[in-house]
Amino acid sequence: MPVALAMILVLSLVWSVHCVRDALMKLTINERSYQMEEMVKQIRANLSSGLQTHWNLVSGLNNAVQGIHFENGQEGISGNIAHLENDFCTDLYGCRVMLLDEQGTAYLSDGPAGIWYDVNRLIDRKKRHTFVSETDTIDGSFLVFSQELDTPVTMGADRVRFTHVVLLKDIQTIKQYYTTTTYGGSAATYIIKSNGTLAYYDADEDDVIGARNVYKALREAEHVQGQGFDAVREQLRREGIAVANILLRGSEYYYCLTSLDDFDMTLMLLIPADAVAVSTMNMMDSAVRILAIFMSVMVLLLLLAAFSFASVQRSAEKVRIEQETNRELNRLRLEAESANSAKSTFLNNMSHDIRTPMNAIIGFTNIALKQNPTPGVRACLEKIGDSSEHLLTLINDVLDISRIESGRIQFTPVPTDIAAVAETAVNVTSGFLSNRHLRFSHHLEQPASRYALADAVRIREVLVNILGNAVKFTPDGGTITFDAVYLPGADEQHILARYRISDTGVGMNQDFIGHIFDEFSQEESSARTQYKGTGLGMAITKRYVDLMGGTISVQSRKGKGSTFTVELPMKTLEDGAIPGRECSADTSDLAGVKVLLAEDNDLNAEIATIQLERLGIQVTRAANGRQAVRAFAENPPGAFDVILMDIMMPVMDGYEATAAIRGLPGRPDALDIPIIAMTANAFAEDVQASVDAGMNGHLSKPIVMNEVVKTIARNLRM
Amino acid sequence: MKKRAYAVLMLVMAAMLICGCSSRSGRQKDAAPDAGQEAKEKVVIACWGNQMLDGYTQYLCELFPQVEFEFVLVTNSTDYYRFRQEHDDMPDILSVRRFALKDAVLLKDYLYDLSNTELATTYFGSYLDSYTYDDGSVNWLPTCAEVDGIIINKTLFDEYNVPVPTDYAGFAAACAAFDAVGIRSFVSDFSADYTCMEVLQGASIPLLQSIEGRKWRQQYESGETRALSEEVWLPVFENFFDFMEKAGLGAQDAAYPNRTPKDMFSQGETAMYRGTGADVITYPGRGQDEVLLVPYFGQTEKDNWYLTYPAFQIAASQKGMEDPEREALILDIMTAMVNQQGQDHISYGKNMVPYRKGVTLELMPEMVNLTPYVEQNKLYIRLASNEMFRISWDVVQRMLTGELTTPKEALDAFNSELAGEEPGTQIAAHIDTALSNEFDPEHGNQAASAVANTMRSIYGVDLAFMQACYVASDIYSGDYSLRDLGYLAKNDGGWPGLMELTGEQIYTLVETTLTMTNNRGAVCNDSTLYVSSGFEMDIARTDSGYELLGLTLEGEALERDKTYSFLIYGERDWYMTRVMEEMGVFRVDTTGPKAEACLIRRLVEEGGQLEAPTDYITLR
Repeated sequence: MPVALAMILVLSLVWSVHCVRDALMKLTINERSYQMEEMVKQIRANLSSGLQTHWNLVSGLNNAVQGIHFENGQEGISGNIAHLENDFCTDLYGCRVMLLDEQGTAYLSDGPAGIWYDVNRLIDRKKRHTFVSETDTIDGSFLVFSQELDTPVTMGADRVRFTHVVLLKDIQTIKQYYTTTTYGGSAATYIIKSNGTLAYYDADEDDVIGARNVYKALREAEHVQGQGFDAVREQLRREGIAVANILLRGSEYYYCLTSLDDFDMTLMLLIPADAVAVSTMNMMDSAVRILAIFMSVMVLLLLLAAFSFASVQRSAEKVRIEQETNRELNRLRLEAESANSAKSTFLNNMSHDIRTPMNAIIGFTNIALKQNPTPGVRACLEKIGDSSEHLLTLINDVLDISRIESGRIQFTPVPTDIAAVAETAVNVTSGFLSNRHLRFSHHLEQPASRYALADAVRIREVLVNILGNAVKFTPDGGTITFDAVYLPGADEQHILARYRISDTGVGMNQDFIGHIFDEFSQEESSARTQYKGTGLGMAITKRYVDLMGGTISVQSRKGKGSTFTVELPMKTLEDGAIPGRECSADTSDLAGVKVLLAEDNDLNAEIATIQLERLGIQVTRAANGRQAVRAFAENPPGAFDVILMDIMMPVMDGYEATAAIRGLPGRPDALDIPIIAMTANAFAEDVQASVDAGMNGHLSKPIVMNEVVKTIARNLRM
Repeated sequence: MKKRAYAVLMLVMAAMLICGCSSRSGRQKDAAPDAGQEAKEKVVIACWGNQMLDGYTQYLCELFPQVEFEFVLVTNSTDYYRFRQEHDDMPDILSVRRFALKDAVLLKDYLYDLSNTELATTYFGSYLDSYTYDDGSVNWLPTCAEVDGIIINKTLFDEYNVPVPTDYAGFAAACAAFDAVGIRSFVSDFSADYTCMEVLQGASIPLLQSIEGRKWRQQYESGETRALSEEVWLPVFENFFDFMEKAGLGAQDAAYPNRTPKDMFSQGETAMYRGTGADVITYPGRGQDEVLLVPYFGQTEKDNWYLTYPAFQIAASQKGMEDPEREALILDIMTAMVNQQGQDHISYGKNMVPYRKGVTLELMPEMVNLTPYVEQNKLYIRLASNEMFRISWDVVQRMLTGELTTPKEALDAFNSELAGEEPGTQIAAHIDTALSNEFDPEHGNQAASAVANTMRSIYGVDLAFMQACYVASDIYSGDYSLRDLGYLAKNDGGWPGLMELTGEQIYTLVETTLTMTNNRGAVCNDSTLYVSSGFEMDIARTDSGYELLGLTLEGEALERDKTYSFLIYGERDWYMTRVMEEMGVFRVDTTGPKAEACLIRRLVEEGGQLEAPTDYITLR
């Protein structure tokens, strides 16, 4: 009977998953334009950020040119330009420095190069110009950053009077800012001048438009949705971005124009219609697969849990858990069916609603393991535990990559102890090594200025991701090294954090290195397939590095190991401008601490209660936000030392409850009592939302007791 | 019902076929001259100057035997095409030497956009950018760069032990040295507007190329300003006054026509004059002298620049390009006009600098100085709007004649004219009868015949002979301003030559003309044949060109031993010299009115009409 029931359940789930998939695919296709627009917005942000970085460099050059004591003679001028290049044009920037005299003669580090053909592009009223240059004066294609000097500088025996300093950036090196692998490498990039003519084309394939006057070609092309190019341009002018689809040589293409007004250029991506949603399709497929896997695991878990509890503990508790689990399962199925209403809604719901039952699965698996199960049951429970951990990683990675691609993740640097970031990564990695025989050496340089504007969470995630891979792919007996150094940046206010992680692990084929940052990329080899992974970790890492305006590179040899180098520019801060560092927590003893636990989910509440009470903590549960407010208000000051607050609760959510507690009249302690969010909403903006709501900390579900203890202890100043 | 509809459709189609003749610049086929011979596609090319008749038009005729070209020699101005467009008579392919985007943009709606053609992709981007409008479209493409500077007779310098100058101080010293021995140091044909403009700009290129100078030029060319900037241009006039003083220029120089400085140079009477690479070839000093083209001098050698401009630009009329076959043909012809072969035919291809990728032009030894300047891109492109030519001429003339005595006066005079209206735009004449300048084997070129007959009448000569293509378009009936009247027959290359000829010499003249090659008066097809006034020509087409069968006067054979007063109108320095040599004629008067002046005299001053055309030719 249970088997038949399970079969019916499985078939129902398969059918549901199929329906969900179809609906998602339709939505995905409808969202092509939106996604492309989001993607190009992100590229525009990357490019703008990258270009702005170079303008900072040009400002530095401007100051340097004005300040340098120039030697007389031609070699002196060339020598000084060479010095400027040495000082400013590091490998990161890949550029040359050029000075222009008042007639437009170009001077380079290897001498004068005649009148610059593009000098007429500098003569409007603006002091700064950015454009693509491809002239006979200097071989190659460059992105030009030209700055009229604040004060002309005279130098040399001929008293040459220089009026402009120009940074010539090899256009190949800006590729990193606009390249996207989202469309399977089929996106062609066009940089277009303000008059609509092509300044630069970049793609593996021949230019399908093949026109100098790109706007004219687009105007003459057939627009599939009937929206003519003039309307597209009007939208571009109004909103700074516009998407349309056209027929070119009998095939449908999507193009997206976005203007970079500050740099007098427009960026266009042209993508075959077939490729526009491939990435999203893949992602949706993965999500559906994961959903199917999850459902299957749930069924298996249900059967195993039922069997295990029946054989170990035939109690009413078992029945209640089964009912709860069934109810949870039913709720998840309904949620999955409703996911076709919108991809974004679906993804957000996954964030919370999948993590919540995962909390139950992992928690009860741990509880069951502590019930002295038979060896056979223990083996099953351990496999459930492993599978659950892997599933959680899969979900997290897929959610992360989808959020990055939709442009919802922003780079928000805040004052950060950058040395502590590296130290934390070391600590986390040390945890990975507990059951491994690996030598882990690290050299963490102390930066001259300890504080900088950075995103500690993302940097830590990048480092932990790479270090975790190193641990994963390095056989016992191997070595992992981690170096963190801090180099001078574009100017005195900036530094460049360079993190280098090397291992002596299995390494990679050269062919695979080119795809390591692609989504769902995993090397097909016997040496690596034994390791579990989602194939998304490095893609996420790369996106985070891009978001932070940095670079990541990898060198690897098969069987010898790999070295990853991450370079991140950061603006340093005065030490006095930094808030005090968090005090470290003594996690040894929380016995006697009184906790008010606001948690609507009975399973989660029970798990948390059991685990907290094992530490000697006294737990009072409230089933929603309103009950929590009432419990706090109706008890005298000191009745609770700390409140653990779920966010998504019925009747009154965690944010509202926190605000209500903080605003209780006649209760000065309401302002001081630590309120810690404990929620399945685990993204960075969720953490920020908790802080904004007046909470003192944030714990993500499934809860990790070490983190719970540390957070409580830190807030109680223990 | 269906049958009736079908019949109506057939009638409409037949009517369309019968009445389907389009305008001359649209797609059209010439009637087959002989039965069984396929009709040729007609293409009208407006030639900016008679240089194009020297091998270049021949080259196009040979390359496109399927095309019946009509070549006309037009006024060297983009405004000329405005006049043609107003009469809905734009030629298929346009060419112009005097060019400014500021002027050309007025024709934008009538010209074909070349921006996305393969032809445009063959140009260096920086050059193409300067021909690109704000909306990315491109109408005009340049051929190769004519180079303009100071031509010096190095042999003469050596004879008088004068160092060849390398900067302005050296130039001033050379002027003083030659003045001391009674030789004019520097002269030029200041009667020509382009010389006034080029020397004025050439003497101050570093100023005009400074950042401020470039900014002002950008504002002027975009229409943001209509005045010379005092900051940039006052020093320009100061420099020109100094140049005048050092070179000893004065009122006598103001009237020098094009030929005078070249004759003086050829006779060793002057050491330097303003000229181009083409002039270096044409006037090699006293025959064996070593001649060099040096740049305009700046204060230091580093400030020296050559002045350049495209030998000419080409464009295509929008009209007729709707037909893909004709569009492809026109683009093929334009490509041939500017490719390596085409450029080799422009002034021998050895005195110019290419703008196109894949074109290599070998420099003559006389222009070896140019190489480092090309490498350093020290080639100043002249500011050449129509009004710049006109006003530069007027102001420089007044400076030379002493009417303007200070740089500030010159600057104010220039700005005053820039702010005023262009002269010659009021209605001044009316033409009653329209005449076509399309060649007809039975009647010849009727417009050219009317002009030739009118000139013969005004000159009062027995006979006249002119190349028909000097009449630049149909003669339209209606009102004309002085400016537009000039556009009918105003090409700088046309000169009147008044002489006495025997009938025998006239036979020689016509025979020589018909068989002449490699000359700026050469005949390459029907449209470039000559028109006779007062006598008739019987001519046969041959495999190699044309053959004279006979000349008649009022139906009788032209008497070979009788003497006639005779007017030749055509190219002076190359053509007229050649035929006079063949005829054994040594005296010619070229000071009479040109064709444009004759039209103005007859139509404006006398208030009359053009003489009626005559059937002057039988072409077999």
